[in-house]
Amino acid sequence: MHNEPLLTVSNLTVDLLTAKSAVRPVDGVSYSVRQGECLAIVGESGSGKTVMNFAPLGLMPTGVTTVLSGSVKFDGHELIGRPEAEIRKFRGRSIGFIFQDPMSALNPVRRIGRQIAEMAELHLGMSPSAAEARALELVKLVGISDPAARLRQYPHELSGGLRQRIVIAIALAGEPKLLIADEPTTALDVTVQAQILRLLKDLQKRLDMAMVLITHDMGVVAGAADNIVVMYAARAAERGPVDKVLVSPRHPYTRGLINAIPRREDPIGSEFRGLPGVPPTLGAPFKGCAFASRCGFAVAACSASRPPLVPTPDGSVFVACPVVNQGKAAA
Amino acid sequence: MIHFISKRLKHSLVLLFLASVVCFMLVVSAPGNVAVLIAELRGAVSVPGYVDQVAEEIGLNKPLLVRYVDWLGDAVRGDFGISYRTGQEVNADLPKRMLVTGTLVAGGGALATLISLVLGFLGALWPYKLPDRVSRGLALVGASTPTFFVGALMIYGFSVTFQLFPSFGFEGPESWILPWLTVAVLPAAVLSRVVRVGLEEAMTSPFVLTAKSKGLGRTAILFRDALPNITPVFINALGTQVGLMTATAIIVEPLFAWQGLGDYFLNGVRFRDFMVVQACLLIFLTFFIIVNLIVDLAVLLTDPRIRRQWS
Amino acid sequence: MEKLNSILARLKKMPRAALITIGLFVALGTFASWLAPQDPSAQNLLDAGLGPSAAHWLGTDHLGRDTLSRLIIAANTSLVSVGSVLGIAMTIGILMGTIAGYHRGWVDDLLMRVVDVGLSIPSLIIALAVIGIVGPGYWTMVMALALAWWPMSGRISRAVAVSIMSKPHIEALRVLGASPWRIYFGHLLPGTIGAVMVYATADAGTAALAVATLSFLGLGIQPPTPEWGQMLVDALPYLESDPRQVLLPGLALTAAVIGFNTLGESIALNRIPKPLTRRMLAARRLEAAGWAKENSDA
Repeated sequence: MHNEPLLTVSNLTVDLLTAKSAVRPVDGVSYSVRQGECLAIVGESGSGKTVMNFAPLGLMPTGVTTVLSGSVKFDGHELIGRPEAEIRKFRGRSIGFIFQDPMSALNPVRRIGRQIAEMAELHLGMSPSAAEARALELVKLVGISDPAARLRQYPHELSGGLRQRIVIAIALAGEPKLLIADEPTTALDVTVQAQILRLLKDLQKRLDMAMVLITHDMGVVAGAADNIVVMYAARAAERGPVDKVLVSPRHPYTRGLINAIPRREDPIGSEFRGLPGVPPTLGAPFKGCAFASRCGFAVAACSASRPPLVPTPDGSVFVACPVVNQGKAAA
Repeated sequence: MIHFISKRLKHSLVLLFLASVVCFMLVVSAPGNVAVLIAELRGAVSVPGYVDQVAEEIGLNKPLLVRYVDWLGDAVRGDFGISYRTGQEVNADLPKRMLVTGTLVAGGGALATLISLVLGFLGALWPYKLPDRVSRGLALVGASTPTFFVGALMIYGFSVTFQLFPSFGFEGPESWILPWLTVAVLPAAVLSRVVRVGLEEAMTSPFVLTAKSKGLGRTAILFRDALPNITPVFINALGTQVGLMTATAIIVEPLFAWQGLGDYFLNGVRFRDFMVVQACLLIFLTFFIIVNLIVDLAVLLTDPRIRRQWS
Repeated sequence: MEKLNSILARLKKMPRAALITIGLFVALGTFASWLAPQDPSAQNLLDAGLGPSAAHWLGTDHLGRDTLSRLIIAANTSLVSVGSVLGIAMTIGILMGTIAGYHRGWVDDLLMRVVDVGLSIPSLIIALAVIGIVGPGYWTMVMALALAWWPMSGRISRAVAVSIMSKPHIEALRVLGASPWRIYFGHLLPGTIGAVMVYATADAGTAALAVATLSFLGLGIQPPTPEWGQMLVDALPYLESDPRQVLLPGLALTAAVIGFNTLGESIALNRIPKPLTRRMLAARRLEAAGWAKENSDA
């Protein structure tokens, strides 16, 4: 076990400025990840969870100006305020990325072997032949059969699941300490999903990496993560160890999410227990609690000022809900 | 893949056949009596019986199909008949002329490729900054300036004013510079835009995010990831431009006094020398068909996705 | 009225410089005979090859004709000939394309093959081949160029026709018993005309270049009618002594074509997205700064 967390995010706020709009997809969020640990960041599409991980590392699309404030400390280095040239050094080498859509993540006109070996040449200073050997190792590591043949193939010759394994191989090539996986299984078939998750978890343990798993699927969280941060409308609603948060969720939003998961006991044809309303589109920061309009427990104070993320009596779980924290709602 | 190539070859042969038919029909369907016209050109139209003699000579009385087969048979062997203006065999100078035009198009094409790649990449490396605006401005002007004006400017600027390069005749590499530059301006402008837009499109593809996440810098991504993606598009565009350059040769060759195929064609048109027009047209069309074939095969070689489709 | 508004709205989006250039060209061309200060054909060998002066603002050519007047009339020549070429080409193209798009089947296949062939041969060669057989002349030139230009209009109108025909309301019309004429004139034609006109405007520059090139080769507009390409070739022998006579028509033509090409570029989806200007960025920053940082997590 390591003492200092590998990644510490404190009060991170991200503003995105485009030609037509200004949006704040991340509004004062904090969390940390230790080496060997897996943190799940859960939220609906548009809750800011991807931006939160990509923006501090300079991965926003061109044409968007990013304004960061707060602190993101990785391995003792503060990332916010660094110029792009320095941030680039972390990408690939210390931090690996896995993306949502394996079908488009790879360059269609370059061989797979080259796309992996490039990493080893760049970050580990290997010669082309050594890098090819390393690529072969990696392809075996991610569980691909007939690895030598695969290296010579092009991405369109591989299925989605295989491509995602290649993406994982690329992410691992630089021997990173932290792996950021953005919805790695969303675009895959259900059967393949389980395989990929197992692979990721296995690799994480073996290589003693930290992992940030971005997802909207609670099932994925349960199987793979140690800790969880639940995001709603750019803010953290709840944060804590997975076993505690999933079993007894406190924030009304988290409760709604967990409650919505169908249970085996539910008779066939029973109604879906969804949350009323729709999640807000992000723009300027909300006054008060963003969930208030959909919340069954909302009181006047909820819309007045933004609820702070406060530890529960338990100590390891943090909730941003004034109602819950004052014990007015039943546990 | 062999299947695809053979299918493509057959397609080309069909096109060649059609082209030959078109060329043949073009002259056959010319208004007016060809025999009379030729007799006029020879200055003997008033001689009684001469028109009939001419008709017999060029086989006007034979059925169309026979005439076509005769003509095609001769053409394939390089015999394009006798020019009714000069009395010489049409194919006398053809090889030399084809070489001249070939030099023009090859040099122009190479130059255009080089210039367009440089301008396109300059623009992509510093988007919207000065290099990009300059290269896009140059491309706009290059695509809008008539070739004959470019040629005139070249002659005036480099030959008359500064006496740097010769502008008359096909006499060795020095004399090739100005014609090459003239012929390359328009294609370079069009191709630079293809490169610039292609690179920009490639750079917005999802795999560029992956490349960024690998820790690669913009320049590296541009050359390693974006460039291979524009190769098929570029080759297609280059093929089209090479075809267009043969047409441009018709203007450029007379301007610089080169005795090429374009110059020959132009004179044929000017003097309504049907046999010459026919021969040149057939050669041009054959050239286009071959260029298209090569382009398709080259794209097949450079785009792995298409290769898979046809394997 | 509605159509006028939509046209005006589109015009506002286009680059101003291009619109001004084209407007100038069209105005010059239309009112040429009133704007030209002198008779473009008036030869005066004593005044040949003069530089700019009070009498001749842009000098005279080798036959003593006033260059300025000739340039202006040449604008008219270009306008009329390019307009004719495009008009005829569009008509043929729209006819062929809509028929192909309406009937589909072998008619469509045949037409598209013809279009493919037509588009793969450079227009200059097509035009020269025709002129070589028929002989030079104004209408020969126009028809020859129209022959080279119609395939693109044909392809565009066919594509539009096909997409219109596949729309559900057309099928409904057919079921309800609407006659083919009604569908054709009421629905197909209006849609295709718009698309083809847009293309024609963008391509007008290239057409102008083609006319000028043919005139340069002596196979287009014949003297004494002035035309920029023709003026240039006439002045070539005097390049050393009087370069002005070569430069002026060349520049005039280039300017007009630049105007059309710029317009064409803005019409076509110019896929390079616009960047954030400093002004926009400052405005956004101001907006974001206005957001008070509410209390955040521990």
